Amino acid sequence: MDDIDAMFSDLLGEMDLLTQSLEQDTAPPVSLPPPTNTEANFSFGFTDLNESLHELEDNDLDALMADLVADLDATEKKLAADIEGLKVPSPPPPPKGESLLPSSPLDYSASPASSTSSSVCTPSSSAASPLPPPPPQSTKPTKEEIEAQMKADKIKLALEKLKEAKVKKLVVKVLMNDGSSKTLMVDERQNVREVLDNLFEKTHCDCNVDWSLCETNPELQLERTFEDHENLVEPLLAWTRDTENKILFKECGQKYAVFKNPQNFYLWKKDKKTLKDMKDKDKEILIEENFCGTSIIVPDLEAVLHLKEDGKKSWKQRLFQLRASGIYYVPKGKTKSSRDLVCFLQFDNVNVYYAKDFRSKHKAPTDFCFVLKHPQIQKDSQYIKYLCCDDAWTMNLWVTGIRIAKYGASLYKNFKTAEKKAVVNSAWTNRSVTSSSSESTPSPTIKAKANGHAPKPQPEPVFKDVGTCPPPPPPPPSPPLTGILPPPPSDPAFPPPPPPLAAKSSSKAAARQQHLSTNFPPPPPAMDLPPPPPPPPMDESSDTPPDFLPPPPPAMGSLPPPPPSLLSANSLPPPPPPCFKGVGQSLPPPPPDPGFLPPLPPPESVFVATGAPPPPPPPPPPPAAAARAPAPRAPVRASGSVKKMPPMPPKRTTPSLRGGGGGGGGDGDLMSELMVAMMKKRSNP
Amino acid sequence: MSVKKIEPFSHFRLTETDKKRNKPFLTKAAQLSAQTTTHRAQERLHFSKPCAEETKVWHVTSELHVGGVIVKLVEKTQIKRDWSDHAVWWEQKQQWLLRTSWTLEKYGIHADARLVFMPQHKPLKLGLPNGITLRLHACFSGPVFRTVMGICRMLNIRHPEELSLLRPLEEKKKKKKDSAEEIYDLTEVPLSSVSRPCLYNGMPAHFADSPQMEAIYKMLSVTQPPPAPEVIAKQYRPASVVDKAHINGRWLDSSRSLMQQGVQQNDRLWLRFKYYAFYDIEPKYDAVRLTQLYEQARWAILLEDIDCTEEEMMLFGALQYHISKVSQSEPQLMSSSTAMDDLDSALQSLEVKMEGEGSSASELLENMTAPELNDYLKIFRPKRLTLKGYKQYWCKFQDTSIAYFKSKEESIGEPIQQIHLKGCEVAPDVNMAAHRFLIRLLIPAPEGMNEVYLRCENEQQYAQWMAACRLASKGKSLADSSFQSEIQSIHTFLAMQKTNTGSHGNVPASDESINTHSLVSPRYHKKYKAKQLTPRILDAYQNVAQLSLTDAVTRFLQIWQALPDFGLSYVVVRFKGSRKDEVLGIAPNRLIRIDLGVGDVVKTWRYNNMKQWNVNWDIRQMAIEFEGNVNIAFSCVTADCKIVHEFIGGYIFMSTRSRQKSDTLNEELFHKLTGGHEAL
Repeated sequence: MDDIDAMFSDLLGEMDLLTQSLEQDTAPPVSLPPPTNTEANFSFGFTDLNESLHELEDNDLDALMADLVADLDATEKKLAADIEGLKVPSPPPPPKGESLLPSSPLDYSASPASSTSSSVCTPSSSAASPLPPPPPQSTKPTKEEIEAQMKADKIKLALEKLKEAKVKKLVVKVLMNDGSSKTLMVDERQNVREVLDNLFEKTHCDCNVDWSLCETNPELQLERTFEDHENLVEPLLAWTRDTENKILFKECGQKYAVFKNPQNFYLWKKDKKTLKDMKDKDKEILIEENFCGTSIIVPDLEAVLHLKEDGKKSWKQRLFQLRASGIYYVPKGKTKSSRDLVCFLQFDNVNVYYAKDFRSKHKAPTDFCFVLKHPQIQKDSQYIKYLCCDDAWTMNLWVTGIRIAKYGASLYKNFKTAEKKAVVNSAWTNRSVTSSSSESTPSPTIKAKANGHAPKPQPEPVFKDVGTCPPPPPPPPSPPLTGILPPPPSDPAFPPPPPPLAAKSSSKAAARQQHLSTNFPPPPPAMDLPPPPPPPPMDESSDTPPDFLPPPPPAMGSLPPPPPSLLSANSLPPPPPPCFKGVGQSLPPPPPDPGFLPPLPPPESVFVATGAPPPPPPPPPPPAAAARAPAPRAPVRASGSVKKMPPMPPKRTTPSLRGGGGGGGGDGDLMSELMVAMMKKRSNP
Repeated sequence: MSVKKIEPFSHFRLTETDKKRNKPFLTKAAQLSAQTTTHRAQERLHFSKPCAEETKVWHVTSELHVGGVIVKLVEKTQIKRDWSDHAVWWEQKQQWLLRTSWTLEKYGIHADARLVFMPQHKPLKLGLPNGITLRLHACFSGPVFRTVMGICRMLNIRHPEELSLLRPLEEKKKKKKDSAEEIYDLTEVPLSSVSRPCLYNGMPAHFADSPQMEAIYKMLSVTQPPPAPEVIAKQYRPASVVDKAHINGRWLDSSRSLMQQGVQQNDRLWLRFKYYAFYDIEPKYDAVRLTQLYEQARWAILLEDIDCTEEEMMLFGALQYHISKVSQSEPQLMSSSTAMDDLDSALQSLEVKMEGEGSSASELLENMTAPELNDYLKIFRPKRLTLKGYKQYWCKFQDTSIAYFKSKEESIGEPIQQIHLKGCEVAPDVNMAAHRFLIRLLIPAPEGMNEVYLRCENEQQYAQWMAACRLASKGKSLADSSFQSEIQSIHTFLAMQKTNTGSHGNVPASDESINTHSLVSPRYHKKYKAKQLTPRILDAYQNVAQLSLTDAVTRFLQIWQALPDFGLSYVVVRFKGSRKDEVLGIAPNRLIRIDLGVGDVVKTWRYNNMKQWNVNWDIRQMAIEFEGNVNIAFSCVTADCKIVHEFIGGYIFMSTRSRQKSDTLNEELFHKLTGGHEAL
């Protein structure tokens, strides 16, 4: 246990975020290590931790994500354990058990989300792809097919789990341009495009192509827009542990400016009026010429720029040229002929950043500076190249030109994708607006998207586990809760209930679930929805974490009528469909969400009141998940009927809550408050 | 007649259809006696009769049509053979009488006319982009555009509109060499066979007739080995833009026949890609096209016909090395090999294994554990301000990082330090003679880059660790499928360095060791010794070593096309109102005006802003009007204005080729755009 504590303490930051989102559920297991400092801007890079910790973290996260193990039956578990033992040099046995337990509860909450996400939103589903295999497995064993085949399948499954387990996931806080923030879980397979899609779902922005994720480095005063095809996790891992770097979600007009006005970059020598009056047809031709041929053509840039390099303090002028192969300069006294050019730098290992306010920081001749550096360099260093342009126009030319040289065709592909997304979205929003008026469900969909990262399509595996594994027991109690409240919604969550019925029932349930999920993508969203309510109490900013963590654990303890819930759940499916349908329609329309949210908060507050029970949470966690699912649904339903006009309150409340909870103890407070809120909710319905 | 006629000022509009052909017609209806010469070149060639030229004179009426003349002629010669390729050539007027239904009168033939009856297809020595000379029958009677189509059909090159024929540079006193030159003979290919369908592998049927023919096809479709440095050095290299401009004065006129342009049988011409707008390249069908395009690009770079930087030259060198290596090992297959490092496929193979052997899971997992390298290496970290220098450690390379320990015995415990190589820069520092095997690493860290030197004891150790570092810097582990080939290529380059430093070029050139001077332009022969060049090319080679042949060729072409000066054909011109010569650069999408003194681009005009262009054939001046009332006019100094006119019209034609995959070439449109008054 000490080991665990140590490890956990290392992971504090992450745990904090997770716990916040998870609330009581996770809290119990996590509580062992007193988690503390919750920094708003904190992001977690695991790079500095040693290998074993690394693995553990992953496991923990996985557990949280409910990806791993949950769906494996006993043998599978063994296998997995073996594998892990082999793979992971130093995985202390105790932690494992721990991680497993928490993971299963989490699974419940997460799995529904994932299933929904896969059905609802395409981007997230792609990530989920690896998981598909599990479902067939679950059914197979029950059918008792050839043993060898089964074994093979299991091994394959185990390997996939393993693969999954090794996937790095980060909890990322993204600052919105209105000053608020959202917290997302991002796994290393996700690219920026997918993350943006998640954020679109969460924010109801207009989804135009300018929306970008930017990374800022306050220490170096740099800012860079992530390219849509980049993986988000990798650059974040380069951040130092004490970094003040932030991720912003904002509109950057320069991101795709070259595709909107290619003449500004490719014909930059022409006079401004010609550029301004450029016909659309000519723009298209320019794009075609430079981006659609066999080779990507880099704008022909040449300018005298000021350079500060090698750690020197002075700026010197040089005549630079941009070529596809790198940046060159003309040595003094030489001609501009290609053969005389000296290579200043090539783009393989560097990224280009906009610099801010370098006139005061580095005594630059102007404030229009950009920087080239290896992404891992986070502090001032002689290896950073500082360049200064005479005006903003030149700076944008160069930064964009460098991006074209570095990323080539990907840039154009990204733009096309973003464009498509924007078009679809505007269509959706229009629709949604109409639908939203009638249906409040949209918010669920958003959640689903948020989960998108959690491609873990393992709902089925979860079921299995439930049948065989101890953790499941707790869930059953929760189901009753759900049953009592809005049983229908929690189809995904329900899996836990099956346990009583035994494997058979579980398999059936799984099948049903599948159907449900496919038919009623909305239901999962419903599941997701719950999170929205919780966030208010916990964090205004952290929407995503809620997805993973079902706060309701307390409910579990109090409500042991799982079987009924199960039954109801099974039978209930029909009722949910209508809701789901509504949801599905509403899903697309982000705008409605805000509307919905309001309604949710009230219920939450209620829950908080009941929160008292939380103390028991540790055992209940699993049930909590289930319970949680119901809780959210309840709000959803309410919202559906009410139309949820009384939105925002939750957010405001959260901050106060936060203040209350600090460190481990604080967390506990938060948890309890959440519990209370949950209770209240329950009581309200 | 029409051929020589000069119209004062003919206008062309892109959109307009041209005027009706203006036929010369002579009304004189007198009885003529035509002096007809039968020039039996074919026989002289094939039957080697001492003198097969007979001149016959007989009388015909001016109402007799050309076909009738031919029939009479054939009857009179009383030689039985296939005359179908023969046609009548009017020598004085430099004109073919191809319209057999026209009467002599209509052609304006008078009694003094000297007509030659001869085959339309004659042998021609054709220099290919890869430097090899072919001998084949080309059409001497049709416009060069159609002649090129015929040649390309025979050689299996798609999109013949992109190529044309060029008069070669005068060769000075090279007679001796010429005789020794190997010429591939395609004259045996029957003209009719060209229409036969291609074989399954894309090879035209006529190349499958004999082993010799297959060898020719291989020559056409497989890249040539790098030329010896002396060969490169001996070739003519344009030293300036003006030199380059002179080359463009040698293009043949696409709208007139070879005969009309004074080309005789057995003359030598070059076949080259003229328009740098390569449409729809499909490696499956374009083996010859792609190969010849690559060869042309390669020579353009080796001869500095197009400028590039040193870094780019090294990359071109590395690609040439790779391409020649791969094409030797897999001459035919242009397939791309996908590495199996994807976990999915790895899983699949695992599965297969499992089913086959029924091995346990733990065994499987053992198979999955990544390989490692363990050895004593000397490490030096210059940044640490310690003067200790190299110190020996037990190093363990695992995944993408190196952990080092005091000794092997302590390697079970915690390492002294672990170096993560992902994203680092790896540079070699090797001197075979001095027995120095250093690996220079620049490891990125939040504070900057840390320098670390690894010193290896021997070649073997160096190759392994270097390969591992290179893969790791790209985020690949030792388990990656490319590890072994990486080691191999490092060995190869080490061997090259060895031979280069040892004896001076007398080493039998095995394909393993190329003189790296063969891969770069002569400028770098002077600048660097081969052994200095080798590590630089190896360095660039890193990034391309895994490419398949097709991918490597494609990459070469892409980098070539991304050069700023790519696609520019230069002509020296005199702008109206200007007193000095300037250079006009003609690119696929624009015209540029270059100041000869400074070498700067003064002005750019894009074709898509062009409204019309006119040629004043009397004063040989071109006038172009662009949108926004921009008018330019210039006369051409180093090339006929027909050539410039054809370049511009040709590029506009190239841009009209649409995505629809119709194989038929719109020949008429091409001539309309490029032909000038003669075509109208």
